[in-house]
Amino acid sequence: MRKRKLSLSQKRTVNGYLFILPWLIGFIIFYIRSIILSAEFTLSELTVGAVGGYELKFVGLENFIYAFREHGTFKQVLTTSVFDMIIDLPLIIFFSLFMAILLNRQFKGRTLVRMIFFLPVILNSSAISDALELSQQMMAGGISAGSSQMAAEATSAGVDVGYYIGLFTDLAMPETVLDYLVAAVSRINSIITASGVQIVIFLAALQSIPGSMYEVAKIEGATAYETFWKVTFPMVMPHIITNVVYTVIDGFADSQVVTLAYDTAFTDFNYGLSSVFSLVSTAVTCLILVLIVGYIQKRTFYYN
Amino acid sequence: MRKRVIVDYSDRKWVPFWQRAKETKLNRSKAGNGLLFGLMFICGIFMALPLVMIINNALKPLDELFQYPPKIIVRNPTLENFTDLFVLMSDSWVPFSRYIINTIIITVGGMVGHVIVASMAAYPLAKHRFPGRNLLFNMVILSMMFSWTVTQIPQYLIISLLKINNTYLALILPAWSFGMGLYLMKQFMEQLPDSLMESAKMDGAGEFRIFWTIIMPNVKPAWLTLAIFQFQHMWGNTGGTFLRDEELKPLQYALQQIVQGGAARAGAGAAVTFVIAAVPITFFLVAQSNIMETMTTSGMKE
Repeated sequence: MRKRKLSLSQKRTVNGYLFILPWLIGFIIFYIRSIILSAEFTLSELTVGAVGGYELKFVGLENFIYAFREHGTFKQVLTTSVFDMIIDLPLIIFFSLFMAILLNRQFKGRTLVRMIFFLPVILNSSAISDALELSQQMMAGGISAGSSQMAAEATSAGVDVGYYIGLFTDLAMPETVLDYLVAAVSRINSIITASGVQIVIFLAALQSIPGSMYEVAKIEGATAYETFWKVTFPMVMPHIITNVVYTVIDGFADSQVVTLAYDTAFTDFNYGLSSVFSLVSTAVTCLILVLIVGYIQKRTFYYN
Repeated sequence: MRKRVIVDYSDRKWVPFWQRAKETKLNRSKAGNGLLFGLMFICGIFMALPLVMIINNALKPLDELFQYPPKIIVRNPTLENFTDLFVLMSDSWVPFSRYIINTIIITVGGMVGHVIVASMAAYPLAKHRFPGRNLLFNMVILSMMFSWTVTQIPQYLIISLLKINNTYLALILPAWSFGMGLYLMKQFMEQLPDSLMESAKMDGAGEFRIFWTIIMPNVKPAWLTLAIFQFQHMWGNTGGTFLRDEELKPLQYALQQIVQGGAARAGAGAAVTFVIAAVPITFFLVAQSNIMETMTTSGMKE
């Protein structure tokens, strides 16, 4: 029997899927199925059985209706999360691009400085933040009332914010001014700490720009300003999309909506409602990303 | 008019910025350099403060740890906290080396596997045209938007269904097919010129060979970056609900237990925080210094 010959495009398809296969299997098993399972949870009421199993009772759209019509805080929390993110997004992108360009220059101790800017990502792990919070509590004189909240605030900046707030209150600064200042300063910090990953992605992007392009620009007599807008920026553009996607996803991953969904699932044991929350926030994220990325994509230049 | 000197950048050494301005720096003044330096310095302080505090806390004797208002810089540095930690380690339930081995298996397994599997999947998605390509890629992006903290229950169900519960695989396998790595690798591979692969194909290289000897070396900054992220991700894993046996738990879990001992173990806790932070930082430094300029188009003439 003659073996059937594959056409070039068929061969390419087979080859492509062979490369993807190991990843795809895991992806379907671990991720797609858990999305489907939680979609199932949204339409049903889940009761945990006595012997460790669980039962699903189909209730239709009841969970959705409850979330939007009756739940006290869901809609408000969702809108704050979305607005916070929209304000933070351009700041984070520009800050990290700027920092990446600075860190990409030749200077002594470059790796060390890069490390410092990646620190927030490393220090973000739960074990470290637990330990830091604990040490803050110890400094504040044991676990007295209100100190844990102050310690949580303090750890976010790595310095004892509560101490300074107290100092300014003692100096009779008007409370509204103080509130605004505290909010503004804490936003700066959150932007700086949220840009660690983005800076590293931009650094890798800057590294993959061929050096010959800069040589050409130099020979043609371009100024540094022109070189940035004509060479660096277009070449980094695709990674601006990468970073927008990452920032939006990362911003939502520890936003208030997710905290709400988590608490609903593991404090109130209402898995159906919690799945509704996470599904709705996923849909909203998706919508925002499609709008932003669609807008940038039109203006993006691809090397090939 | 100032004479401009052309500088050969091929063997350029580091020159302090105050001398550099005399050369051909066209658009950068001393003031501009100073401004940039100042800005970086301020941002850097913001980010470095927690680390400075961690290091200093690890060296503080107990009475300084409990001091209020706290001092960031240590007055009488001791290594007491570390000796305390070693004492605590040596009388743990299972030998402490066990935790270290577990962590190495989980972290290295999860990191290396993810980098290879995700890069392999990213290659055809970035460079080949075939049916179902866009669908697959959109699925990846969609999956990244899903908040995984909430899907712990479905994940647990799936893992116990596969009967890999309470093994290393329960942590390693899901890490392999994480969406973020694929997305990152695809974005970087897309920028490689097609002619690079075409010339390899003409010289008779197979698909796998192209991937391994042409694509991967050229996207080295990308996969080193991915390795950094994944290392950080796996290192912070405490085993959670998936590992029940004490002999399988990673180092992170054991250290967290010590920290949760509360005020009585404050000294050892400070030392633990230092250890937990030091390892990923070291990894980051090693990986970053390995990211060299890759010349994508070197050896190509159009």
